Amino acid sequence: MMAEPTLKIEDLRTYFYSRGKQAFIRSVDGVNLEIAKGETLGVVGESGSGKSITALSVMGLIGAGPGVISGKIRFRSTRVEKDLLQDLENFVKLTVKDGKITDVSKDLMGWERKTERVMKDLRGREIAMIFQNPKSSLNPFMSVGRQITEAIRLHTTAKTESEARERALSWLDRVKIDSPRLRFDNYPFGLSGGMCQRAMVAMALACEPSLLIADEPTTGLDATIQSKIVDLLAELKSELGVTTMLISHDISIISRLSDSVAVLYGGTVCDFGPAREILSTGLESKHPYTSALLASIPSARNIKEKGYLQAIKGDVLDTINVPAGCRFYSRCNRVTEKIREKCEHHEPDLREIGSGHKARCWLFFD
Amino acid sequence: MKHYSQRPGEICDLSDRPFWKTADAVDLAYIGYGLIIVALVLISYLLGSFNLLLRDPQEIDLGLMMAPPGTAGHFFGTDFMGRDMLSRLIVGIQAYFLPGLLAIFIALFFGSLLGVAAGYWGGTLDTGITYFTNLVDSFPRLVLILLVVAAFKPDIYYIMLVVGFTNLPVVTSLIKGKIKFLKQKNFIEADIALGVPTRTIVLKHILWQNCRSLLIIQATLGMAEAILMETSLSYLGFGVQEPTPSWGNMVQSGANYFMQGKFWPSTAPALAILFTILGFHLLGDGLNNILEGSKSS
Repeated sequence: MMAEPTLKIEDLRTYFYSRGKQAFIRSVDGVNLEIAKGETLGVVGESGSGKSITALSVMGLIGAGPGVISGKIRFRSTRVEKDLLQDLENFVKLTVKDGKITDVSKDLMGWERKTERVMKDLRGREIAMIFQNPKSSLNPFMSVGRQITEAIRLHTTAKTESEARERALSWLDRVKIDSPRLRFDNYPFGLSGGMCQRAMVAMALACEPSLLIADEPTTGLDATIQSKIVDLLAELKSELGVTTMLISHDISIISRLSDSVAVLYGGTVCDFGPAREILSTGLESKHPYTSALLASIPSARNIKEKGYLQAIKGDVLDTINVPAGCRFYSRCNRVTEKIREKCEHHEPDLREIGSGHKARCWLFFD
Repeated sequence: MKHYSQRPGEICDLSDRPFWKTADAVDLAYIGYGLIIVALVLISYLLGSFNLLLRDPQEIDLGLMMAPPGTAGHFFGTDFMGRDMLSRLIVGIQAYFLPGLLAIFIALFFGSLLGVAAGYWGGTLDTGITYFTNLVDSFPRLVLILLVVAAFKPDIYYIMLVVGFTNLPVVTSLIKGKIKFLKQKNFIEADIALGVPTRTIVLKHILWQNCRSLLIIQATLGMAEAILMETSLSYLGFGVQEPTPSWGNMVQSGANYFMQGKFWPSTAPALAILFTILGFHLLGDGLNNILEGSKSS
């Protein structure tokens, strides 16, 4: 049995209310995840599958707008242990009329105050986040060095300016920014995208967080820079052993860095297990969506064998009118006559199908 | 392990150059002229407030009424009561300088307060503030000032309170727009995720670092606005009252003699108003082009 996981997400639901359609957009609809201490969890899925919203929910950044959130996010480190979503549901009031949600009102102030209280000592210090667009995630009017210094002074024992500066410089060096002393005083617009992302990584890790959330750390960078950033992350991961939640739609990145993988589809986890098992090609005992996803990666062999690139037919799930049965049913190519009835009308739950491997598919349940 | 090719100094060549080397010559000329005007106003204000004038602006010399410019001892001549024009022009700055600063302070302080509230927190707060600023904006300013003057007394500070108040909507909407724009660039979200306290985000990262230039520009324009208001009200007789000199009432009292060919008592203060307001406006324009224009590209 593993030790208590650093992050355990239980049945997380993050809904947004659409006034026009008088219905909820179920961005995240029952996500269950756990990340063991020191491990890296890769989260994959199409656009709109709820990857980023899951990350933002963990950070407590779902604030504005009539959103609802429920479930449990247990965070545990050497210093703290809390449920990040405790009592947050109480701040939202639903008005239901004839089975239709007519209005959602949210005590935004109370909600934010509560999140603020829960997250106050966690953000930056315990949970750090790397965002998708490095250039726009840095303050354009503040030199990169000063931004890192500020983070260090806020969250670590280095409280004096000079001490924090030294630490920032050593971190800039550690993320392999050339001549850190010169770069220290550069503004974000003077740095390339890759360097900005390195600076972001330095800023996130300099505070020695227990959990690092990397939300698509390589989007917006070109291919060579991407691979360098991944190299860097891999190196830092083995050096620091920081628990990481890596979100990406790029399976090659996930496979390089992750110990375990969660595949998200339509706001739920449909496949969760050790990276080796889930990302290996050819293995039949995994969710049909995962297999289809893997088959759609362009690779020399794939194209040579079939002569074309396999795409998953159909569209991304409509997260407003979620079907009653399996979410992947309409696009699934492995439905057999035996289980068709169940697939169409009953949603499968996430069940263990191998050691440490859970999937949400009727194929594996008898 | 060196797998990157940038050498220090290569990519930042342009951005490291000081702004006066990259800026437009016209903008620099604007700013230069504006700064000269600001310096002149400041010096004149200090001269006036410490009474370092060569001649007493109130000293009446009935033997030397309407002396033309260039008369010995009176560089700009004298007015209809033989008072020295130059001294009166310099002392006239007292009429708008401090009140103008008050107007600027009110507009900038409360404007950024409302702007931050509307832009950062948004939602119903934003709607409320927008209604409020629209309401303020829809009042004709002069009417509002005349109301205040009628209700209280024709004091320049009361007038400047109103001027500052009516400048609120501009500052508010500018700051609000800037913050909405900045929020799109999600570094504010990154700040929150990093655990930076809200106070630091709003005061330091937003107002100080990103809205600083905007506020400076608004301050210069606000001063121009204040001068124009003061002079036009004094001209109408609602502002600073005789015998205290102000550029507005100097133009007014001099205007009676304009048709007799004695143009200087009204023209000198009128030109002073023109050049000063032009100076503040050009300074604001130049700063705007240099500080705000280049960032968007």
